[in-house]
Amino acid sequence: MPQAQEASAVDTGLSRLSLQQRLELQFEIEQFFYVEAALLDAREYRAWLDLWTQDCSYWMPIRRTVALADIDREFTKRGDMSFYDDDKKMLAMRIAKMESGSSWSEDPPSRSRHFVSNVRIVSIEGDETSVELAFALYRSRLNDDESIWVGRRVDRLRRVGGDLKLCDREIYLDQTLISATNMSTLF
Amino acid sequence: MDIQDEGGRANGADRTCNKETIASCFDEESGLLDRRIFADQEIYDQEMRNIFARAWNFMCHESQIPNVGDYFINHIGEDQVIVVRDKQGEVQVLLNTCRHRGNALCRAEEGNVKSFVCSYHGWNYDLNGDLIGVPGITPYYRKDFDKSTLGLVKAAQVDNLHGFYFATLDADAPSLHDYLGEVGRIGLGMMATNGEVAIVDGIQKNVIDCNWKIAVDNLYDWYHVQYSHASAGIAGFMDIAAILHPQNQMIMMGDYGHAISGPAIPEDMQAAIDAMSDEERKAIADESFVDGEAPRLLPRLKVARELLGPVGVRSMGHPNIFPNLWVATNGTQLSLRLPRGPYKTEIWWFTFLPKDMPEDKRKRAIAFNSHLFGPAGMLEQDDGENWSQSTRASRGVKARTFPHHVAMGLGHDEVQTDAASGQSRVETTISEHAQRWHYKSWTDWMLADSWVDLKANHTPAPKGRV
Repeated sequence: MPQAQEASAVDTGLSRLSLQQRLELQFEIEQFFYVEAALLDAREYRAWLDLWTQDCSYWMPIRRTVALADIDREFTKRGDMSFYDDDKKMLAMRIAKMESGSSWSEDPPSRSRHFVSNVRIVSIEGDETSVELAFALYRSRLNDDESIWVGRRVDRLRRVGGDLKLCDREIYLDQTLISATNMSTLF
Repeated sequence: MDIQDEGGRANGADRTCNKETIASCFDEESGLLDRRIFADQEIYDQEMRNIFARAWNFMCHESQIPNVGDYFINHIGEDQVIVVRDKQGEVQVLLNTCRHRGNALCRAEEGNVKSFVCSYHGWNYDLNGDLIGVPGITPYYRKDFDKSTLGLVKAAQVDNLHGFYFATLDADAPSLHDYLGEVGRIGLGMMATNGEVAIVDGIQKNVIDCNWKIAVDNLYDWYHVQYSHASAGIAGFMDIAAILHPQNQMIMMGDYGHAISGPAIPEDMQAAIDAMSDEERKAIADESFVDGEAPRLLPRLKVARELLGPVGVRSMGHPNIFPNLWVATNGTQLSLRLPRGPYKTEIWWFTFLPKDMPEDKRKRAIAFNSHLFGPAGMLEQDDGENWSQSTRASRGVKARTFPHHVAMGLGHDEVQTDAASGQSRVETTISEHAQRWHYKSWTDWMLADSWVDLKANHTPAPKGRV
């Protein structure tokens, strides 16, 4: 476990858990992300949407190449322009688009593989747990159109009943200019 | 045919194509368009010289570089330029290449600097491009060095309209005002009808494997909307049928290839709008920014009539400032289609909103604009694939012998001119008039040997039967 976090003056909520509890939570969250990735890769979008709370937020800011002196401007902020700034209704519309039979950017459907790693529980507040992770999304389209999107995700999971649900996702890509015809897949 | 710079060296790539080839690409009598223009390197190289190096190219809005030293990187064809506010507060457009060994001065997309220091050998340029510092002038150059001759290369002309800055590399280009002409000024004027605007932070940028012209002429195309974008309608994002107004289309065409194409407010509806106060108009327009609702034929504010004229004020269409600037999304967005070789285009989306927009409306407008275009946009996701597949097919030996068919409405319509204002337009159903005008003008640009030639010999905006 990262000692720096343990020593932090900020109460992340993690110190209240025993090692056993933390191992169980880590296992549960990792399994949750593997299931989520499998649903997306299997194009089970409706089941994927069920993993989200009603009040969820799904956001990918725009990243740009800036000098070190301007590094606080590397990503756009909430309320600026973005690539995704979706609530559950908007996510549902993206899925309805893919199911419509005339969503040409996803028909023929893309083939995707979602990888998650470096999963770190960073804080626990009430019934919500914040997690940071690294992701890689490989997409193959038509015969020879390939995209690889790599980045960092900050997810917030909420305990609803006995289940974990996603209530917030921030997606920070590692590329600036998007070298793809479109981003018609879900991250 | 090459433009010569002062040193007498060929400007840009060397490959040229003969005039017979260019002249045969678009047949205005039949509306047939040779696919080689989407595929051939020679044609692309000539576009860089004859179109982009001559035209007024969009750089940025004044709100992107408000302070001394603020800069923004853009492109004129394949030339990368720094758009910077200098110490006098003037906007300079400088080639982003050191006069010593050609390295880029700026590598970030935007930022603020006190001067431009080259990372290679430390040559230092003032914000106006003057070379002010060279390490080792005495020990290494033995004082045999004239800094005054080695400033950064400047655009030949820089000017703005409504705070939107443009630059041309050609000293013989007409003024920005004359270049835009009435149609270009109406097009850009749509960005000024919402009041004083500022950039919303964040420019969406992505690369599509398509020729730049197919991305440009698509913005005039209201025929594809019902089919390409049907899924956005089925998903409930936007009422596609309601935005089309297929029987109320207006096309305005101007000298040098500027055009506006799309829905028009019928005259009786405009008369009703003219009777409304600005408050009443705002109330209607604000509602249009809600996701999932159809953007209507929007009443513009009263100032729009002065900016756009009695005909232009009725246009809800899409203007293109030739060659590659789309004025979009009810005057809140600009999109550049930046060529990167015959088979690649960078798409940039800029968003501008009124400075006095209430916070809740601003939030809705930003959400709407984020969800509409850009690589993840509910509309633009599907465009890119159409354009890339069309570009790809232009390379096939057999396929390219079959021209594109751009003949919709050809010979069926009449250009009408408003007697009082002199503004001309075609009012008709969905058509391909603007696309044909784009390629007719493209031919003029590609055949012209210089701006002198282009000014004298370009095709004037159509009158009569089209």
